[in-house]
Amino acid sequence: MHRIRVTINGKQYEHEVEPRLLLVHYIREKARLTGTHVGCDTGNCGACTVLFHGQPIKSCLMLAVQADGSEITTIEGMARNGALHPVQEAFLEKFGFQCGYCTPGMILSAAALLEQLPNPTEEEIREALEGNLCMCTGYQQIIDSILHAAEKLRAAGTKPK
Amino acid sequence: MMKLDEIFATRKWVGNPLRRDHDIRFIKGEGEYVDDLEIECVHAAILRSIYAHARLGKIDTSKAAAMPGVLAVITGPEVAQVTKPVVPRAITKPAIQYVMASGKVRYVGEPVAAVVAEDRYLAEDALEQIEVEYEPLPPVVEIQDALNPDSPLIFEEAGSNILMDDTLQHGDVEKAFREADHVIRESFKMHRYSSTPLENWVIIAKYERASDSYTVWANDQQHGRSIVNVCNTLGIPNSRFRLIVPDAGGGFGIKLALWPYMVSLCLLARKVDRPVKWVQTRREHLLAGTHAPDCEVEIEFAIRKDGKILGLRFKDIDNDGSFIHNAGIYGMIKFATLVGAYSIPATQAEMLSVVTNKGPTVQNRGVGKPTMIFVLERMVDIASKQLGIDPMEMRFKNFVQPEQMPYTTPSGEIYESGDYPECLRKALRLIGYEEFKKQAEEWKKQGRYVGIGVSASIEPGTSNLGYYYTARGTPEYMGNAEGAIVGIDYDGNPNVMIGSVDEGQGHATTIAQVVADMLAIHPDQVTVHTHLDSMVSPFLGHSGCYSNKFNDVDLGAVIMATKKVRDKMLRIAAHMLQARPEELKLQDGQVVASANGGKSVPFKEIAALAYKKVLLLPEGEEPGLKEIAYYRSTMAKLPSKTDFNVQITHSNSVHIAAVEVDIETGMVKFLKYVIVHDCGNQLNPGIVEGMVIGSTVHGIGAVLLEEFVYNEDGQLVTTSFMDYMKPVAAGLPHFETGHMVSPCPYTLLGTKSVGEGGAIGSLAAVANAVEDALSPFGVKVTSLPITPEKVVRAVKETKVI
Repeated sequence: MHRIRVTINGKQYEHEVEPRLLLVHYIREKARLTGTHVGCDTGNCGACTVLFHGQPIKSCLMLAVQADGSEITTIEGMARNGALHPVQEAFLEKFGFQCGYCTPGMILSAAALLEQLPNPTEEEIREALEGNLCMCTGYQQIIDSILHAAEKLRAAGTKPK
Repeated sequence: MMKLDEIFATRKWVGNPLRRDHDIRFIKGEGEYVDDLEIECVHAAILRSIYAHARLGKIDTSKAAAMPGVLAVITGPEVAQVTKPVVPRAITKPAIQYVMASGKVRYVGEPVAAVVAEDRYLAEDALEQIEVEYEPLPPVVEIQDALNPDSPLIFEEAGSNILMDDTLQHGDVEKAFREADHVIRESFKMHRYSSTPLENWVIIAKYERASDSYTVWANDQQHGRSIVNVCNTLGIPNSRFRLIVPDAGGGFGIKLALWPYMVSLCLLARKVDRPVKWVQTRREHLLAGTHAPDCEVEIEFAIRKDGKILGLRFKDIDNDGSFIHNAGIYGMIKFATLVGAYSIPATQAEMLSVVTNKGPTVQNRGVGKPTMIFVLERMVDIASKQLGIDPMEMRFKNFVQPEQMPYTTPSGEIYESGDYPECLRKALRLIGYEEFKKQAEEWKKQGRYVGIGVSASIEPGTSNLGYYYTARGTPEYMGNAEGAIVGIDYDGNPNVMIGSVDEGQGHATTIAQVVADMLAIHPDQVTVHTHLDSMVSPFLGHSGCYSNKFNDVDLGAVIMATKKVRDKMLRIAAHMLQARPEELKLQDGQVVASANGGKSVPFKEIAALAYKKVLLLPEGEEPGLKEIAYYRSTMAKLPSKTDFNVQITHSNSVHIAAVEVDIETGMVKFLKYVIVHDCGNQLNPGIVEGMVIGSTVHGIGAVLLEEFVYNEDGQLVTTSFMDYMKPVAAGLPHFETGHMVSPCPYTLLGTKSVGEGGAIGSLAAVANAVEDALSPFGVKVTSLPITPEKVVRAVKETKVI
């Protein structure tokens, strides 16, 4: 067993974990943050996407011990002071979700994209989402949501935090 | 049937793209999927057969059972001793199968044993310590293997690997073929695929020793039937089984077959006396979760020289793998879609279900409709080419015409409304068909392989359950129905509970829109419980989320229950305001008397009488403000071989795809994609748009990418999303959609089916476009999927995909 300390959404967590414990299981079962989902076990679907030091990663492809000392943002950390993140708002306004299972990963990937590319084209968004599968929407309303979020963020003159 | 003006007090919300604030939890990562529930569980893992076909010998679980942290192990033969066999629904030959393997294994991935341990890692470790003796038998994998009389029998007691063979004939088929100028025949092959919800199956089972009863939490899609199946298989009364269905991460039919696993989980929970959780892995889902069956279809059209189709003969052989509960179902759904959007007076359909050593099948999105429309719309293109008639002219000539509505097909399906020719005209205009054809000719001269393909289809919904008994003749379920409870709380706001579940379609928002307009309030005031609890929810044997039944019978039940509670509020208000009920109207959460000085009483005050000041209620009025209603579709006919409607509502659509094929790589690239559809009245166009496009992408995945590939040993070689390819955002077209509105006269709100939509019409549109693009090479498309490898081979050698 190894003792690890992880900061998730600004809060410190400390646990004894088995070296083989996947980060996604750590987040869900030890930190009890169940907004991060498991869809494929092989790193293809992106339902387990979290921000690792601000970068989107698939938490099913990392061990919890590898995350020792890291800063992680999950979907639960996107809203600030009770206000939805602009990307979350946009997903609501443009019907960017159906069953909600891919949604946390989509929102985190989209937020990371807009951080780097505040004014993406539809094609750039499609390319950026290649690691996130959605089985419900056919992606079009997700793309509409991300384009809408980009507009909102540019209008507000702020970049996502 | 109630008119819309009788149903609605206001017309503010229904028909608008109201955003899904009722489901805001999904945006925040606060969904409550089964695996998220705060229930302290131990974990199950399942040992699965490594052989496609083998006799099951000794299973030694002693090493696994002795491992630290392991709480229990059960084997298939042990389960078979304490449970009843799986009940078949459509097949006519005897076949005995249990929820876990016993005596034989019949597919790779069939459950052989299960372990419960303190955590899932330990449970999986323990599986490796179970020793199973197998005596391999020759596998029967493909349809032709199953039909070969020399092949081994998969169910010896059946005496055949053909478990169902049923023929239905309607109209004078002989005459149609006698009078035809041309008979055009073709054979098609359809592969296995699945709409693979992103959330795998998850079940938690808890045993209550004191009451000898079980509580199960599962992401089940058709709980009404599952409850019956689990109780019958365990041999327990219904009162000892409670099923709870919270949020589900998609379904698409693939979650209709969890119940055998619920049975095993209940046995394990009883054994360890602690709640047991099983989370299916994606590999398990793809291997043994359930697929749409692969099939072989032969079809012939009797055609007059002007292109009029006089009759058709159809033979369908479904490879239903090895799960007898669902075997034989697809044939009847294809049969229901046999004439598509066309007026074809004589039909003959022969439907066979064969058993093989492939994995289980289930009603994947659209069930047999995608195959049937693929076959029909390919046939129209093939026939028009042979006759030298323009394929659009052929469609216009054969469409059911708007003035024929409601139109009854030879076998009894009732197409209630719609303008199929206008739908096609609209789609052709939207994509600029003629201009594109001209442009494509230019591109072809430049060496580019560009094509356009059209598919005009019906999209039937709301299954008339019992259809799959046609071959057996003893229906246990009939028609379709759903239940709902609507109450007004102390504070005057309504709450709604339905007998169905939501797989992601946003039912809560749509229900809130309907109830808000019925009670003249804001949708935010309406609380909707979409989670099911069989102890309190008003469910029926039909209950569940399947066959697009929501906006037909589910909303029917909500409307009838809301009306009951509204009528009661009006009676109480009339008493309070000293007015006659017919003088009252609803306005902003109040009942207002039009006479009597416009006096009003808020819902909250009415609720106060109903719940608290019960002595002030009118004479004879019961206390309380909560009503239950069940609603059944009014159009379902009794099961019969001569006149029967398998499906109750009929949306229609036209899909047009424009593609370019790279003949070097075999890749198909979309240039344009247009969908014009008609699902009657739309209650929330934002949700409908998502259904239309999302379902179309299911179809595109099936046409171009996805396939469960088995090798000759019956091993599935596509067991992850690395080799079972799903569509990603890149590479898909930007869909342009157009709408038509032909209200259904037989549903309360004039709605028709919408959920399966594009999964039905898209296959032929893409296939026809690819064939058109490859016309310089004379390539014909008669099978799916259209993989790059098949395209390259067809162009270079075979001329057939």
